[in-house]
Amino acid sequence: MSVLLRAAELVKRPVVTLAGEDVAQIKDVVYASASGELAGFTLNGRGMFAGPMRKTLPWAAVHGLGPDAVMIKDESVLAARKALDGEREGAGGSVLGSRVLTDGGRDLGRVTDLILAVGEGGTDAVGYEIEPSDELAPRRQFVPLPDTLAVSGEALLVPDAATEFIRDDLAGFGAAVDEFRERLRAGAPPGSTVTGAPIDAPADVRPDVAPGPEATQPAAAERPGEPR
Amino acid sequence: MEWWEWIFVILAALLFLTVMFYGVQARRRRGGIVAQRAGRRR
Repeated sequence: MSVLLRAAELVKRPVVTLAGEDVAQIKDVVYASASGELAGFTLNGRGMFAGPMRKTLPWAAVHGLGPDAVMIKDESVLAARKALDGEREGAGGSVLGSRVLTDGGRDLGRVTDLILAVGEGGTDAVGYEIEPSDELAPRRQFVPLPDTLAVSGEALLVPDAATEFIRDDLAGFGAAVDEFRERLRAGAPPGSTVTGAPIDAPADVRPDVAPGPEATQPAAAERPGEPR
Repeated sequence: MEWWEWIFVILAALLFLTVMFYGVQARRRRGGIVAQRAGRRR
């Protein structure tokens, strides 16, 4: 069972320790450009005049991801900035505003958000929310991503088959991602009928409560006495 | 200049610097979605 949420909704969410101390605020959502796994977050300090922090929050150190706060055990789980740097070579960087191209060379549009699937097995990027380049298309569309991503210097590449699984809303997008990945694994040619059960259970579309990797406690908002 | 004019100038300068600093920090705080150059492979 996984939950879909927009990565941009995590930005500016406060980071709170289990002792109730509000230690930081989410700045960037960082994911691995090759595997799509959520790597962690860069952080801002608290307060009007605070800037970016040198510490980062690896996803493995997140205790719980609630609708109003990201919970961590204590401040000691924060890591050095280089923990999220990745390698020196290769493509990477901010994906907002990047073009999404199919491997057949079709421009689908520009990225406005990243869709994450948060589940017990991990947290992965499963789709892009795009502003389509086709003016006749709806204002927002959701493009499913394969298990292995391709990010070039300027464009984000998806297989041609992804165009068949583009959805206009987040409801049902989880099932579209499952079907799309199933087809890629099966190696079926584009246009053929997809059969078989989805890989995962259909994802709920709730951009609020989502479990962290060791989420055994309710979210901050559900616990009395916790700051929001 | 009169003393009260100096105070006015100093307060205006402080206000300007505060707004500038706030603007710079707000720009630095702006977040986004970042792809790592290379990721952990599954």
